[in-house]
Amino acid sequence: MAVKKIMIDPVTRIEGHLKMELEIEDGVVVDARAVGTMYRGLEPLLIGRDPRDATYVTERACGVCAGSHGWASSLTLDQAYGAQVPAGGRILRNLILGAMWLHDHPLHFYHLCALDYLDIMAIAEYQGKDPGLQAVKGKILKLVAAGDTSPMTPRYKPDEFCVNDPELVTTAVAHYLQALDMQAKAKKMSAIFAGKQPHQSSIVVGGVTMLPTMSIVSQFRSMLMEQIDFLEKVYLQDVVTFGTGPLLPLAQAGIGGGDLNFLSFGGFARDNEGKDPFFKPGIILAGDLNNIIPLDAQKITEDVHYSWYKGSAESKNLFDDTTIPDLDKKDAYSFVKAPRYEGHPMEVGPLARMLVMQPKVLMDLITQYEIKPGVVARHAARAVETILLAKEMINWIDALEKEMGTADFKIHDTAHWEAPDTAQGVGLTEAPRGALGHWIKIKDKKTENYQMVVPSTWNFSPKDEKGVYGPCEKALIGVPVPDPDNPINVVRVIRSYDPCLACAVHLIDPKTNEIMKYHIGY
Amino acid sequence: MGKSHLFGTKGVSRRDFLKLMAVTSTALGLPATVFPKTVSAVEEAMAKPPVIWLEGMDCAGCTESLLATINPSIAEVVLDMLSIRYHETIMAGSGHVAEQAYHDTLSENFVLVVEGSIPSKEDRYCMVGGRPFRETVLEAAQKAQLVLAVGSCATDGAGIPGACDVGAVGVRELLNENGIATPVINLPCCPVKPATLLGTIVYYLTYKEAPPLDLQARPKVFYGKLLHDNCPRRGRFEAGEFLEDWNDPEQKDYCLLLKGCKGPKTYTDCAQAWWNDNTNFCINAGSPCSGCSEAGFFGQFSPLYAKQENFELPGIGQINAETAGKVVAAATVVGVGAHLTASLVKGRVGKKASEQGEDK
Repeated sequence: MAVKKIMIDPVTRIEGHLKMELEIEDGVVVDARAVGTMYRGLEPLLIGRDPRDATYVTERACGVCAGSHGWASSLTLDQAYGAQVPAGGRILRNLILGAMWLHDHPLHFYHLCALDYLDIMAIAEYQGKDPGLQAVKGKILKLVAAGDTSPMTPRYKPDEFCVNDPELVTTAVAHYLQALDMQAKAKKMSAIFAGKQPHQSSIVVGGVTMLPTMSIVSQFRSMLMEQIDFLEKVYLQDVVTFGTGPLLPLAQAGIGGGDLNFLSFGGFARDNEGKDPFFKPGIILAGDLNNIIPLDAQKITEDVHYSWYKGSAESKNLFDDTTIPDLDKKDAYSFVKAPRYEGHPMEVGPLARMLVMQPKVLMDLITQYEIKPGVVARHAARAVETILLAKEMINWIDALEKEMGTADFKIHDTAHWEAPDTAQGVGLTEAPRGALGHWIKIKDKKTENYQMVVPSTWNFSPKDEKGVYGPCEKALIGVPVPDPDNPINVVRVIRSYDPCLACAVHLIDPKTNEIMKYHIGY
Repeated sequence: MGKSHLFGTKGVSRRDFLKLMAVTSTALGLPATVFPKTVSAVEEAMAKPPVIWLEGMDCAGCTESLLATINPSIAEVVLDMLSIRYHETIMAGSGHVAEQAYHDTLSENFVLVVEGSIPSKEDRYCMVGGRPFRETVLEAAQKAQLVLAVGSCATDGAGIPGACDVGAVGVRELLNENGIATPVINLPCCPVKPATLLGTIVYYLTYKEAPPLDLQARPKVFYGKLLHDNCPRRGRFEAGEFLEDWNDPEQKDYCLLLKGCKGPKTYTDCAQAWWNDNTNFCINAGSPCSGCSEAGFFGQFSPLYAKQENFELPGIGQINAETAGKVVAAATVVGVGAHLTASLVKGRVGKKASEQGEDK
């Protein structure tokens, strides 16, 4: 059978603009290329400015994981400024970001992914007596009758892996609606301590800006308990129901697995020295879960062989990294660079974090159902880590209240608010989508250079000099696509990474305004 | 659980739509006699206008912000109020399925929402669905009944992308350059505030016209007042009490001018209509206003956290933040400030400044 080339553009229900080019032979993907198609250029904007602007500007890299970049940037500036963030500031940052996780992960599952796993029209067959579910059925049928089911249609055709049991589907749609409500409430939790969400405004170099009161802390706590109830009884249950139902063959085949190299920077400091973060740093190579390798950030390199940039293939020092477009470069096909760890492409994100941590609840699921790393495992890891984090947040609230009772309760290192003459800093942490790093160099109290290496740069990197695929590209190869006009498995794999292309393409730092013409189609 | 209560007794959208209408009417300061007319108009408005929501050089933050609405709930907005035909972040279809939905909607009487800015110098900075985003915006805007530019990136000045070296412009600037007369309503802030967006939509659907706009094409009802004039910390400003240490409970509600607050040159209702279900806003969180509702944001407002900002203070002229407290406090002592304060309270000076501020 001849190779058929297809292109999905735009890939929807992701953050940013992504195009996916695929070659399909005998019903499976044999080649894949991921291309980000939008560029704003935030990093150059920072150069020459007051370094403190970085927390605000980089926050705007992404309005979906809102807070992650502001947080990473503040960690970077903390180091450069020599700021010692007091316990109160550290815990409040954790709670603001933790609440963001609570809105982001369920939203990803229900609102960005679930439509790929449901035959939503099975609702019409629901015959149960539950009044809530009958109301959902009535609602959807009313929309159908009115000829307007946007934005749930049009869609790719459901396939054999879609859940089509009327009760399950109707319940899932009810949960889709409930999750809409819960994610809005989780955003409100972040706003309690941080002004607003998306784009919280409280995290700055040295700590946070809002001195909490006991009453808002207890409001936050009660909202957290409502979230935990939802996460345990609804979110995790749905992920398990889907993953072990019609999707089980995909789960057991490890569809969308890839190279099985995993990287976690670790994140959510639990002491002022950051010795014991909640998410653990670590490396896994070739799926060897028995060997968690300690992280050595010096081993990160960036390769630009297939990216539209000049420069050597290895620009190891991210403090000095520059990225100069090479518009006529042969073979290049992506604006995204190819970060590697000791030369390996690495998957980052919930699955990487959870396989480094190996919590019992996830490992038991994997063992019981013989699930291999891939699309389904990624969703399961995301759900598990959301619950673990939510429960850990209770401890942080306890710790915060204890701190607030002390005479010298502090949220900010006021002594280090003004920029040093010359300094550099790096902030490595975890965003919902994976390992996130920011680097800054300061000279004459101004930002001299700023670099971000973001999760989707790892996951959606192009090939490197050795021709090794990026993680998502590799994960797509071998994915079954029985009907090239209905590549639903492809978007399942892509979305399982929760791609954030707006972040990924910020690495570009063009010295000119010329960009190689990108040809659409073949 | 498993049982949705969203459509149980709460049921149909009409009641919530009317509730929203009532809230909006109140916010807009409409006389009570208008309301019955509004109610009947709502019936028509409830015919769910088709919406094409385009995302350009954006971060999806405005989409996430709309999703953060609690009253009305986002489920009601998405299923009952609007017929969202094309929206990259939430729609079911991808690729050609998505593009077909877009093209099908172009022939209807749709509202165009634009999130994110548009590259004016170089199309290839933003390509969506295989074509320049700029072309898509022009095509859709020509056919739309109304364009809502949401968030600082899509509105005049193009926010942060506008300050980057990519030649980013807002929607109104792009349409003006291309002679497209479709009305544009600018709804800046980073991100757009859901109440502002929904209130504007309801107003438009009800009255079939844009609410009164200022020179930046922002609805005056949401952007007509200087933040500084309505700031809960205004009294601290008058008293010359400026926050220097975020740890000090004494200073907790002091004026943030020394931390870089742009409230004195920013027109927004943030002080009255707080974010996330009226939970909080930047200044209440101890964070200086960045001026994100203004066309000059970000370029003219950076550095955001530095104290050496210059402000045009009504009745005083150009002063910088460091001396602002001294000037006002000293003036108060000699009685001049009292007059200034009184003028501001009565809204005379503020109103004049508002009119000046509209023209950028």
